Amino acid sequence: MKLSSRQVCFFLAAVSPVGKMVLLPARLAETAQNDLLFPVLAHLLIQAALIFCVLLLSRRERTLCALVKGAAGNAAAKIVCTLFAAFLLFAAFLPIVEQKIMVRSIFYDTLPAHLVFAPFFLLSAYLASRPLRTLGRMWDILAPLFVLGMAGILVLAAGSCDLGALSPAGAAGAGAFGSGVRITCAWFFDSALLLALIGHFPYSKGLAWKGTLCYLGGGALLLLFLAVFYGVFGEVAVLQTVAFARISAFFSAMTVLGRIDYLFLFALAFVMAFFAILPLQEAVGTLTEAFGTPRLAPLFSVGANVLMLAAVYALHFFPSGSVAAVTQTLFWIFPLFTALLPLLLLLLFGRRPHEKIS
Amino acid sequence: MEKKEISGNLKEDEAALRRQLPAQDILAFPFSDRAGRAYVCLFADALTDKDLLAEQVLRPLQAYTGAPEAETIARCTLSPEVRTARALSTLAEEVLAGNPVLLWEGADEGLIVGTKKVPVRAVTEPPTDVAIKGPREGFVEDVKTNTSLVRKRLKTGELRIEMLTIGRRSATSVALCWLEGTCRGQIVEDVRKKLAAVDIDAVPDASYLTRFLTDRPRSLIKQTGSTEKPDIFCAKLAEGRVGILTDGSPIALTIPYLLVEDFQASEDYFVPAYRATFTRFLRLFALLVAVYLPAFYVAAQLFKLQLLPVRLLLTIAGSIRGIPLSPSLEMLLVLIVLEILNEASIRMPKYVGMALSVVGALVLGETAVRAGFVSTPAIIIIAFSGIGLYAVPNLIEETSVVRLVMLLVAGSFGPYGILLASAFLMVALVTTENYGVPLTAPFSPLVGRDLRDTFLKYNLHSLKMRPATLQSPNKRRLK
Repeated sequence: MKLSSRQVCFFLAAVSPVGKMVLLPARLAETAQNDLLFPVLAHLLIQAALIFCVLLLSRRERTLCALVKGAAGNAAAKIVCTLFAAFLLFAAFLPIVEQKIMVRSIFYDTLPAHLVFAPFFLLSAYLASRPLRTLGRMWDILAPLFVLGMAGILVLAAGSCDLGALSPAGAAGAGAFGSGVRITCAWFFDSALLLALIGHFPYSKGLAWKGTLCYLGGGALLLLFLAVFYGVFGEVAVLQTVAFARISAFFSAMTVLGRIDYLFLFALAFVMAFFAILPLQEAVGTLTEAFGTPRLAPLFSVGANVLMLAAVYALHFFPSGSVAAVTQTLFWIFPLFTALLPLLLLLLFGRRPHEKIS
Repeated sequence: MEKKEISGNLKEDEAALRRQLPAQDILAFPFSDRAGRAYVCLFADALTDKDLLAEQVLRPLQAYTGAPEAETIARCTLSPEVRTARALSTLAEEVLAGNPVLLWEGADEGLIVGTKKVPVRAVTEPPTDVAIKGPREGFVEDVKTNTSLVRKRLKTGELRIEMLTIGRRSATSVALCWLEGTCRGQIVEDVRKKLAAVDIDAVPDASYLTRFLTDRPRSLIKQTGSTEKPDIFCAKLAEGRVGILTDGSPIALTIPYLLVEDFQASEDYFVPAYRATFTRFLRLFALLVAVYLPAFYVAAQLFKLQLLPVRLLLTIAGSIRGIPLSPSLEMLLVLIVLEILNEASIRMPKYVGMALSVVGALVLGETAVRAGFVSTPAIIIIAFSGIGLYAVPNLIEETSVVRLVMLLVAGSFGPYGILLASAFLMVALVTTENYGVPLTAPFSPLVGRDLRDTFLKYNLHSLKMRPATLQSPNKRRLK
């Protein structure tokens, strides 16, 4: 097995939340205002349920590709896996664009050269060609970094946070809640990310519960972060594009100590880089397995990353437009692969591991 | 070498051996016993204890009147280390190793006498591993002395010392040490295989062997542990590692290696646990500062001034006014000067060293700042970085390269470049494995129980088990 169940739990608790801390808070504040926690809570609960299902599915200890191949044959497996890989590539777009926007706004005073972001794809291509075990080991390192980073920025932001800004709860109305859920679909595809990992980690007793609780734990931290974010900025939260970079900037000792919050931001950005790479790596892994060509993994990896590099730089001058296209126009693709596919698979293969599958 | 065995004809045997040993420092001493039988003793002049040879071998044999069998003659000598061999090539090798060889008329075997005397340095405190508290003995260049230092500390039958000979020309003795039942057998087997496969002319130092003991010999990342202290060596053996002592080298190698080892010092085990924990974190902090401070300083100046506090920023702005070089070039220049000074101060004779310090500190530092070539903050940062690197001396070769890379990346890509370079480094570290043990364990993969002796140092009573990372068959060390 390439991953351990502990590493999967670390991913769910500490890596998956960072992907939702850049553009999501401001977008949500725009739509749901002070009720921004509710759409996220709804997504978290849905995702937690789906993650529980995917973890149940992982009891067979067979990969997605192997499951489909065993039931419907090689051709069907190739089709499903190619579609799933295409979805993962599509899903990778948003975290990478977010990463790019974040890099530009928190790491540079002035607009950096366009190519400054390009080495990210070198790392991504390198990592995507490595076995999943590498990423699992990275999660062991990233989990404490995430905790450190989150604790740091939340502590620094606590002084300037007024949680009263979140009240009165429900004031934005059901319409705002619905819009909030809709536009944030693109950020909640954790069950799909986990689906690509099944068969690569052993199922231990109670893992479905443990994994789900870990995900909810990470989700609770995310909710806390969103609450603090809105508590710090209130109605101007809409303007804080890169949310996590700003909330701790008002710490009173900053004038003497300098931007010490950057230490924590650096830790979170480090975690975020690996989160952004994950869908790409999974897409490469899924394709490689579907076509039975492990030796071509580096080639697939380069191809996927060149494709993403081209897409990101082609839309370089339209960051808002491209994000809006994914989150507002093409958002419906996400439930297909994050909810429908796992549920379908569970329905087909969700029997006990010892039961024979056709 | 010519393959031939002893014939029993002394003149022929001596001549054959002489053909294999034509060097002038190989001497032959002919003599006869009381029965009139002719003998010849061949030995390497500088490597043999002639007094001991005369006392233990030659004098008793001159009075010998018995049969010409090797076994009886061996019993007649007073030497406790006597062996026999028939092959002339073996006898020649023994002579070259410093062990005299005795031939006689009618002999069917040659007698090898262990009266070797090699010049050996006294056991002193190693300069690279000084301890305020704790043992001060250090390994020397003689493998036998080193094995005795180990044996002295591990008086158990479980201590296995296997002698190997490596090097086609040097025939260097290498001692493979492990504790049977404590060290995983597969590791011993793998190390033995790797050492047996070494086909090299000479092994002047243990560092030559490290290249053969790893799966990725070209990697920048260190993959074997090293120490000059027998107490550390024995502690590592007791944890379940394999140790390698090389003749001619005071450096002992240990396998498998964990990155965290280099943040531990022997002293940590002789001081209270809280103090050890503090110093280990201090070492980590010093190393991070040493590697990242120059890079972040450059990145802050070039790309993100907000990283610096306002008052410090104003001070720096005042210092760098008029400096003709860009921040990255300035820092690179100062770093290279530091590396040159460092290199020169190690190589220079001690007497010149003092002058070099003056030249380095005053002329290059003070004058360069006054002349406006470099700024004061750059000198301070590099000096701090230079000192910080020595907090973890065993990693200097690797960290100085990483520091340079980080500096170049920071100057070209800014803080995000540093982040990506760190990610690359981290990925490389977590993927490195040796003998089935990940380099970054017990952090990645996480082994909770082993964290008790990493940066955190628990009290001895809490360290009841051996590190699970090393997969020792004997898990408990404290009852």
